[in-house]
Amino acid sequence: MNTLSGSLAGGLLAAGLAGAAMAAEIPRTPEGRPDFSGTYNVATLTPLQRPEMFGDNLVLAPEEAARIAEEEAARLAEDLERDDPNRGAPPKGGDGSTGAAGNVGGYNAFWIERGDGAFQINGEFRTSIITDPANGRFPTMTAAAMKGLMERRRFYRENTGEAWWLEAGGVGPYDDPELRPLGERCLLGFGSTAGPPMLPVLYNNTKRIIQNPDTVVILVEMNHDARIVRMNAEHAPPDQRFWLGDSIGYWEGDTLVVDTTNFRNETAMYNATRDLHVVERFRYGEDGQLIYSFTVEDPNVWTEPWSGEYPWPRTDDRMFEYACHEGNYALGGILRGARILEQETMDAKPDAGSD
Amino acid sequence: MLRGAGSWITIVTLAALATPGVAADYVAPRGPGGEHPDLNGIWQALNTANYDIERHLARHSMQLRDGPHGPLPAVDLLKLGAVGAVPPGLGVVTDGPLPYTPEGLAKKRENAANWLERDPEVKCYLPGVPRATYMPHPFQIQQSAAAILIMYQYANAVREVYMEDVGEAPVDSWMGQSVGRWEGDTLVVEVTGLNDQTWFDRAGNHHSDQLKVTERYTPVGPHHLRYEATIEDPVTFTRPWKMSMPLYRRMEPDARLLDFRCVEFVEELMYGEWRRQPLPRP
Amino acid sequence: MNQTLATILAAGAVALAPVAALAHHAFGAEFDPNRPLVLRGPVTKVEWVNPHTWIHIQVEKEDGTSEDWMVEGGTPNTLLRNGLNKRSLEPGTFIVVDGYQSKDRSNRANGRNVTLENGEKIFMGSSGTGAPRDGADPRERR
Repeated sequence: MNTLSGSLAGGLLAAGLAGAAMAAEIPRTPEGRPDFSGTYNVATLTPLQRPEMFGDNLVLAPEEAARIAEEEAARLAEDLERDDPNRGAPPKGGDGSTGAAGNVGGYNAFWIERGDGAFQINGEFRTSIITDPANGRFPTMTAAAMKGLMERRRFYRENTGEAWWLEAGGVGPYDDPELRPLGERCLLGFGSTAGPPMLPVLYNNTKRIIQNPDTVVILVEMNHDARIVRMNAEHAPPDQRFWLGDSIGYWEGDTLVVDTTNFRNETAMYNATRDLHVVERFRYGEDGQLIYSFTVEDPNVWTEPWSGEYPWPRTDDRMFEYACHEGNYALGGILRGARILEQETMDAKPDAGSD
Repeated sequence: MLRGAGSWITIVTLAALATPGVAADYVAPRGPGGEHPDLNGIWQALNTANYDIERHLARHSMQLRDGPHGPLPAVDLLKLGAVGAVPPGLGVVTDGPLPYTPEGLAKKRENAANWLERDPEVKCYLPGVPRATYMPHPFQIQQSAAAILIMYQYANAVREVYMEDVGEAPVDSWMGQSVGRWEGDTLVVEVTGLNDQTWFDRAGNHHSDQLKVTERYTPVGPHHLRYEATIEDPVTFTRPWKMSMPLYRRMEPDARLLDFRCVEFVEELMYGEWRRQPLPRP
Repeated sequence: MNQTLATILAAGAVALAPVAALAHHAFGAEFDPNRPLVLRGPVTKVEWVNPHTWIHIQVEKEDGTSEDWMVEGGTPNTLLRNGLNKRSLEPGTFIVVDGYQSKDRSNRANGRNVTLENGEKIFMGSSGTGAPRDGADPRERR
């Protein structure tokens, strides 16, 4: 029964070793620098933060990695199974699905591209992307930031199909479009996919690097965001703010360092502020993969910097246009829906909703 | 020296210098890879093509209504006053007037009459090709030995020019699918897979999803490109037609693309009526 | 804490990150759990757009009249990478959708589960295109 996981683990290790044999063959530009040009698919099942059960252990045992891959494959296969065409509607009151599925079940798994398994660096599986702090989780937040987070969490409740915020009083989560997440408004891709830092998300994880000596462009699929890294330049003056921050780049040996500041008040990296400062490093690892590492600092939010890394595997896949705003039927539906639910609540209970 | 030959040489030289500051035999420095001209840089068109690609006199407004002595601005645009007027332009279409089919022309006129409601630019929708080239915003060409990317300040539009055959576009898109090749020092880009949602300008000039655009980018001086685009759309036009314009390098030492994510500027228009407490609306 | 390692790790990207990190919008914002439905009928149009594909379907009601509905799917980009294209779900194809209606009470629903008349998921063509990566196809690249 364990032959599948055994052979998967063996196969993955073998692939890792084969990669290591190619370590000498770093692609280089005519100027002799490592050439990171290419297309990558960064989807991975390894989470950003380490599950607490692993403590300070960064390394994931191969058997566990194999089991993760198997279980994901099984989950996918189950979702793809044939259904009864005479099936009825799902349960009234919701189907109990959690997270983004929002008690209404989201959609089928074939739309999602979140990776086949945990990633490896130099043959070693990891329990998290975060490498520092030692427990692989965000550092302690400042008191002010924690307060802000708690306030924002007020906005997120189980979807009961009711305008619960009327009774709670104060600002409601759907009062204005400006209160909605940047991804829902189609201003930036969700989940810090472009960041920086650039993190894996549920789908559309392709990244494209086009490099020349003066400029490195990192094209991110959502929202057709081109991060323009000006090589050997100075940061913009403090009054110039950018949705993706202002990125300057320089070489440290064979590592491309990208330093980003000048963010706007709202950042892709959740919980961060305009004082966010991200330093990213791109290098080829011994196994021949592009290793992407980053350190995040925001003294308004975290009491210490935190760092992470994960590989960017090359892919033959193409990046496709992600025109978000142009097809954004959802935002209107969300706002109209909130107004209708408020009206229904107020019609039923005339006292509710008075500010 | 034969007088005839001398005159002939003079005429040729004068013709070549007809465009000020541009030598006929300009050879651009090579870009990454050493083989092709360097197109890297921040470029911008300097014309009124985005108002109207055809030659036009100044007009009261982008949307007009009948007045007692000629057209006047539409009601919704009245308060813009002279700021809302359309500046004149020599036009960028080289073989006009635009060869619309009768249906195409009727639709163009309807578009113009209903500009405010219909122009995708009003909603900050991606501009498509060729309009992205002559929006009143800079764009940046990022060129490496193997790849070319064009990034537009307007709505952070972006498109890659694939330098290899990538097959048919699987779906239509706003910025289309661009495939490029070099013909001498000219970058030739064929754009297909464009949807039918974009316009050519604010004058209601439109196209179908059968549009194919063939662009040509040619360096003609250290700080100028010549941009040409051939438009083919047998549904909308009776024959192909062309546009041409210079593209100017932005010379500021700190020239760079800034953010113009106009999505946030159009939210009130598109969603404001559904705020919990809507503001007054016209 | 009885979840298997795999469930925790696999769900990590979704469950462990703060809520704001989830999918581009939580479905909970848009669809009403108190309005479950099942729609049956032919596809009339597919909008291959982001952030969500919209599949338009004509639904015959009990009184014999018909209604147009639109069903929200995911990003088409995933499907395009698996070799599908705008012809992969032809108008006229009969589909069955179970999901929940939009909170704004319009004829919109989430494509919680979309199948063909025979119960197979849509986009799972017999040529093998459309199958997301499940590790079983030796042609797939990792």
